[in-house]
Amino acid sequence: MSAAAQVTDSTFKQEVLESSVPVLVDFWAPWCGPCRMVAPIVDEIATQYEGQIKVVKVNTDENPAVASQYGIRSIPTLMIFKGGQRVDMVVGAVPKTTLSSTLEKYL
Amino acid sequence: MQASDKSLEAMRNFSETYAKRSGTYFCADLSVTAVVIEGLAKHKDDLGAPLCPCRHYEDKEAEAAAAYWNCPCVPMRERKECHCMLFLTPDNDFAGDQQEISTEQIRATTNQY
Repeated sequence: MSAAAQVTDSTFKQEVLESSVPVLVDFWAPWCGPCRMVAPIVDEIATQYEGQIKVVKVNTDENPAVASQYGIRSIPTLMIFKGGQRVDMVVGAVPKTTLSSTLEKYL
Repeated sequence: MQASDKSLEAMRNFSETYAKRSGTYFCADLSVTAVVIEGLAKHKDDLGAPLCPCRHYEDKEAEAAAAYWNCPCVPMRERKECHCMLFLTPDNDFAGDQQEISTEQIRATTNQY
């Protein structure tokens, strides 16, 4: 089971925008190959930064409103939210070091 | 739900042929390849065209009709860029040494979905 909770169109505001800690959002889709490579990295990040950040996933097929609102095109896309604002974005399958160095800026 | 056997076989054949013709390779992790081929086949079933499964679309029917992101997409045909990691150039860190994948290999991964 994944360490990152699934967030939906209806829970995105509460779980992401109103979070008191920075949030890493993994926008994924079921038949996206590289999403499979990113998922374990995202889970590791969730464990490593437990208490400092929140890590969630959005299935873009099932939650098109949020995906469209944030202009998701290429999948996977990882976004960082802080204080209700999108502050950074990483597109595609990236190494864990890239993701953690991007995250560190917002802790 | 998985794609029809007919579409899966069509996309599996296409993927092997196109990799060989373009001098590209499947991902070293063939489960990535399997998921993408199944996704392409599902779009072929649902939309009549193998729309890229690694993008979000406002309107899938309109995108399939526009054809830009139908596999092989324009960026792949023009610059060998496949962000879905189906066709990787040999210099890509994730590229393996395979240009073939069996139906059994695909379904061994996608049966878990």
